[in-house]
Amino acid sequence: MKPRYQATLLVLLSLFTFINLVPILWGLLISIKQPADAFSIPPTLIFEPTLLFHWEVWVERGFFSFLINSLIVAGGTICISVPLGTLAAYGLARTKTKHASTLLFSLLAIRMLPQILLAIPFFVMARYLSLIDTYLMMILAMVAINQPFTIWLMRSFFVDVPVELDEAAMIDGCNRWLAFWHVVLPTVRPGLAVTSLFSMLLAYNEFLFALILTGSRTKTLPVAIAEYGGEDINYWSISAAGAIGIMLPPVIFTILVQRHLIRGLTFGAVKG
Amino acid sequence: MGESGPMWLFMAPSVLVIALVLFYPFFSAVYYSFFNYYLGSQAITFAGLDNYTNLLSEERFWITLGNTFFIVGASVALQLVLGLALALALYACTRGVRLISLLNFLPHVVTPVVGGIFLKWMFVGRWGLIDATLIGFNIFPPDWLGDPGWAKFTVIMADTWKFMPFLMLVLYAGLQAFDTALLEAARIDGASPWQLLWYIILPMMKPLILFVVAIRTMDAFRFFDLIYVLTNGGPGTATETITLYTYQIGFRLLEVGRASALGVLTLIVVAIMVAALIWFMQRRGREAF
Repeated sequence: MKPRYQATLLVLLSLFTFINLVPILWGLLISIKQPADAFSIPPTLIFEPTLLFHWEVWVERGFFSFLINSLIVAGGTICISVPLGTLAAYGLARTKTKHASTLLFSLLAIRMLPQILLAIPFFVMARYLSLIDTYLMMILAMVAINQPFTIWLMRSFFVDVPVELDEAAMIDGCNRWLAFWHVVLPTVRPGLAVTSLFSMLLAYNEFLFALILTGSRTKTLPVAIAEYGGEDINYWSISAAGAIGIMLPPVIFTILVQRHLIRGLTFGAVKG
Repeated sequence: MGESGPMWLFMAPSVLVIALVLFYPFFSAVYYSFFNYYLGSQAITFAGLDNYTNLLSEERFWITLGNTFFIVGASVALQLVLGLALALALYACTRGVRLISLLNFLPHVVTPVVGGIFLKWMFVGRWGLIDATLIGFNIFPPDWLGDPGWAKFTVIMADTWKFMPFLMLVLYAGLQAFDTALLEAARIDGASPWQLLWYIILPMMKPLILFVVAIRTMDAFRFFDLIYVLTNGGPGTATETITLYTYQIGFRLLEVGRASALGVLTLIVVAIMVAALIWFMQRRGREAF
């Protein structure tokens, strides 16, 4: 194609990208400016950056401990959801019966469930069992949301592994379990990593369940930052610093899984 | 492979966990929906279909349902057009595609609550970047979050900002999977870019477009975090979606029975919409032959 056309296209795309990222950049600027600079219009572009608010929010206001809470919830979710999902995904990927596809589609149908409908019984159960403000209920809720997704995504990785590999292993004397454990599982290691990262992102970003199931001891980052809101101008610098910090793990996530993003986003249906 | 026994053993643990954390809560909620059940009070009485009939005869239910349809419809349409345009631009572009798509994808992975706060600093009155900029040009800005009409607009923009990247990336992947020979042949035959888009690219993309629209429709009905942070359903009930309303009934008023009934109604609405989409997809599929 013509070079001039290409150049125009690139300029337009870059411009759009910039506009698209303005909210994030603006938040970043607020977090490293003194409040006096942050609210001046037109925005001051030359200023002395400060990490004071980052220090304040993460250390003095306890966001670091909320990060630990978030990581415990995400870790617990991965530890339950990924191993179980992987086993089920292997079973489904290697079964060609009608039941298997029915099962797969009912898993997809679960996605239609409004999460708030699940949140109600989880809240009631947690109250009834005095498990509000514990990690357990939150982790179980995340497993509930995550399990169908884990199975679908892992299945798409198992489907890519030729059945002949299992068969060869079994001819060589492995039983089904040993063939899975020693031969097939090692070939889907990237899939395990991608599925774990997606599960982690889901648990890390979750707000509704965290809002109703966690409390002062187990509060996760989204709930903590929501309390600072965006309204009260006195808290802007602090909540901007919190918001930017909370954003970093998802950004690292994106860079890590960029090759598998589309597969993850579409339940493994589109292999980008 | 004749041995189905061991295969079911692989699935058993997961099925058990799903039964425990998904089916049991789901059926409990359906069960609650037939009772007058307030959390905190001991008296639980059977209500039959009362929760449902009360909701259906109440104005606020229809307002929030209407809001949900309006917000979901407008934002999914906007995302689709923007996402498709961006996917096509990326497809036509030869340099920097990976970086551009990665950067544009960021709003989608940012924690929704955090994204909501970022957007609040755009739209909030007077000190927000948009207002401050407009005032700088002596333009009097509307009340983005406080006026019923503009609040709807703001919420739609917020949803679009968050989910457009998802459509962009999936549609771009779909474009890349194309057989370029067909496009090349049409181009040689003198088809204009618009003709290429309308007669070749869009028909080939149709299954994928319907797939992403179905996924987005399902997810949009759960849309909670962004609205909660931006407007919390306000002003009044202008941006209150059915999910936010359920949250109010269930977790503010603790009316578990009524909230469950509302959740079940939402599920029915979503199921009908997805079924309609699938039906539409199949009907169109047959027409093609």
